[in-house]
Amino acid sequence: MSSTENVFTANGVTCIVPTQGERRTIFKNLEFAIAPGEIVDLVGPSGSGKSSLLTAFARLNPHATGSFTLDGHDSDEFTPQQWRHEVAYLPQKPILPGETVADAIRLPFTLVIRAGADSIGNASDAVKADVTADVSTPHAAPVNTTGAPSSPHRIGKVGLGRRFVALFRNNDQQARRLLTDQKIRMTLDAMGCEDIDLARPPHDLSGGQAARVSLARTLLTEPKVLLADEVDAGLDDENAEKVADIMATAAAGGMAIIRIRHRPPDGRASRIVTLANGTLTEKTTKTGAQA
Amino acid sequence: MTGNAYDIDIWGLLVALAMVAVAAGISELMRINIGKTLLWSACRALLQLCAMGFIIGYVIRTNNVFLVFAVIAVMLVAAVQITLSRAKGIPKGLAGPVLLSLTITMLLMISLVTELVVRPHPWYAPQLVVPLTGMLLGNTVSALAVGLSRFYESMNERRDEIDTLLALGSTAWEAARPSIVSSIRLGLLPTTATLASCGIVTIPGMMAGQVIAGGDPLEAAKYQFVVFAAIAALTLVADSLIMAMVYRTCFTADDQYKPPEMR
Repeated sequence: MSSTENVFTANGVTCIVPTQGERRTIFKNLEFAIAPGEIVDLVGPSGSGKSSLLTAFARLNPHATGSFTLDGHDSDEFTPQQWRHEVAYLPQKPILPGETVADAIRLPFTLVIRAGADSIGNASDAVKADVTADVSTPHAAPVNTTGAPSSPHRIGKVGLGRRFVALFRNNDQQARRLLTDQKIRMTLDAMGCEDIDLARPPHDLSGGQAARVSLARTLLTEPKVLLADEVDAGLDDENAEKVADIMATAAAGGMAIIRIRHRPPDGRASRIVTLANGTLTEKTTKTGAQA
Repeated sequence: MTGNAYDIDIWGLLVALAMVAVAAGISELMRINIGKTLLWSACRALLQLCAMGFIIGYVIRTNNVFLVFAVIAVMLVAAVQITLSRAKGIPKGLAGPVLLSLTITMLLMISLVTELVVRPHPWYAPQLVVPLTGMLLGNTVSALAVGLSRFYESMNERRDEIDTLLALGSTAWEAARPSIVSSIRLGLLPTTATLASCGIVTIPGMMAGQVIAGGDPLEAAKYQFVVFAAIAALTLVADSLIMAMVYRTCFTADDQYKPPEMR
């Protein structure tokens, strides 16, 4: 399969926000597409609606409408949970609930959407180039990081019965089994996060560390599309560089990544898309020409 | 009135009112400015209680099943109104869920405590059913009001966390769960505190009443325990029911977080 085939497309994306009785149109009828392994930077003046666009892509924005596809499947074929499992929005503010950093990273695996899985697929596929030890489990389901079409119903709908069972199940224990401390450690080390102590409370992390933990948490869930909302804002250059490296490695593993950025271009994006006055304009970078 | 070992005459009521009046007067002198409210509330309470006494007396004498349930229906409607007015920061349109949750717990109370434990004749014995319902409603109303206020407050505070959870693929229920848990806990706090302190620190009102009226203290204690246990269990039921019914008001049909202004 050629890498030019798009993993994610968006059409007619419109966002209208009601403010003080009026309806303000943030943007209207935007189109966007991204191929597997591509990094696209989304820039534009603040207030232009960059975050609204990304939350619309993840179907998290109650004010936005539009039609989206993933691997050629319409978003209507997915439950919201299935969709967000594959199209993951990473908020700017790292929110890390839990007693320890390890708990915070395990959070996604306490959720019903993932609790049905036997094991986390090769959790570090996205960063496998750097992992020397094989942390995958033999029976792990093949993970589509190359963007080949797969059924959107890979993860079953969450039925009422399962939801009822989930009320009484100890998801924490299951998550611990799915994602062991060693596995988290290896993944973090592979991401260049040796400085992060898993047993510490998340509250003690520095801003840069928290941003990287939040990123690692989402990467471990292996989305096909990562929507990173200004993850490097407020970080020093060194941490920003680390974050960019982690994402570049994930993209090399096949993940499509859209980054909102305010920093000067770092040469990792293949395209830079500008959102201003409700329209998207695009320019291909040198990196993109080479790719 | 007969039946009480020591009846209270009109002078007794006046002495009680005078006590409130003196307290109110002192508070006015100290400029605490609570005197008027205190006096007004005391008069209101006297009127309401006497009215309730007359009504229950009438209902007991008539001993009519429809009249019993009519009184309960009025109490339920009043309970809904009080719950909604006491709960802060809740969206409109919760009267239905609150009424439903109160009605279900009330029916459970009547069927379990009255028909299974006490087994009176006739089965709708007004002197049992009406006060029991009143005690249950008194407890659940405050639990629901506290629980609902806390739930919406918590959902607003946790906005970023909820957005993160939803982005990670959580269901609306999973995202709301911490708020639901904390609101139910807070709503049940007075109930568990009462259970723990009764008999040591306090003699609960119902038992005190029976003892003053000349009843056997041990019988009164047994009654009190049954009522307390039922109220504690049913308050939890009422709180859980209301949460299950209202948590979706914080989400859209697509499991997106709905900010307060959209609810």
